[in-house]
Amino acid sequence: MNWFRLNRTLHRDIGYFCISFTLVFAVSGLALNHVRDINPNYIVERAEAEVSLTLQASDAEINAYLLNAFNLDTSVKASYWESPSRYKLFLEQGHTITLNLNMQRAVYEAITPRPIIPALNRLHLNEVRQKWVVFSDVYAVLLIYLAVSALFMVKGKYSALSWRRGWLVLLGTAIPLAYMWL
Amino acid sequence: MPILNKNKRVLGALLTFASLSMSGVSHAETLHFGEALTHQPPVAVSAILASPEAYLDKTVTIEGTVVGVCSMRGCWADIASDARFQKLRLKVQDGDMVFPMHAKGRKAIATGKLYAVHLSQAQTQRYLAALAKRNGEDFDPKTVTEGMAIYQVEPVAVDILD
Repeated sequence: MNWFRLNRTLHRDIGYFCISFTLVFAVSGLALNHVRDINPNYIVERAEAEVSLTLQASDAEINAYLLNAFNLDTSVKASYWESPSRYKLFLEQGHTITLNLNMQRAVYEAITPRPIIPALNRLHLNEVRQKWVVFSDVYAVLLIYLAVSALFMVKGKYSALSWRRGWLVLLGTAIPLAYMWL
Repeated sequence: MPILNKNKRVLGALLTFASLSMSGVSHAETLHFGEALTHQPPVAVSAILASPEAYLDKTVTIEGTVVGVCSMRGCWADIASDARFQKLRLKVQDGDMVFPMHAKGRKAIATGKLYAVHLSQAQTQRYLAALAKRNGEDFDPKTVTEGMAIYQVEPVAVDILD
């Protein structure tokens, strides 16, 4: 049996199988890496407005004022006094207006679910549970195989085990090690 | 180039399938999370917050408007109390339930266990300072001389009604 050829064949075919898995984890990984900067699940659009309201205004008056301030023609689902100076107005689709009487400022937030990325994140974070964890584990094992088998894909001067290209393997090993120990 | 065209068609079909299967957004009228709700009568949130020790580590059912949702992971949802300025948080481990942001403003019914999160004095100072900053109010940390407890419900069943 030609082990070199078998390894290349397995590496190729397992690689094909792993393409979509890799894209799922890579794309969601990018999104989750930057979760502090960009909400991965929703596009949140904000608008602010200066207001002139007092505690003496009724809830109905405040609602009408706020809708007018943001030029909104929508129905009010609910309202809530979070504190004596902070009032929330809930609109359709989960949009909200938050009024701060102390600051005399209102903030309108419109939310739109992002396409695709939340579904990828749910897979990455194993939020779907069920049997996904089995496929996720299989993928992890296959990735280990792909990594190790890559060392034996090429013979000669461009082999991963030669100095000419081996430094790339060493660099890829050194970076995580540095973060583990420093 | 018949082979290239065939490959393009296969790739196109795969991408279309992937897009369709991943872009579905649920618009169900009532959103169900966890187990089915029992018909246990709800306890007023104000009653729980008035004497939380009486309900601590016990299963309670509450209902109220959803007034806040974790925007990042959907791992918590705040339920408004029947009394002003009060709310009670439903908190789950990440992924156990994922509350959508469009649940805000809708009525929720939830059953779960009430528990306390005890904050140290320093944590209480930071917590109250953050609240004051958000409300645009002045806050003197020296006025906090002891820690506080925040009460939350770990839900096992939640329905968010339309």
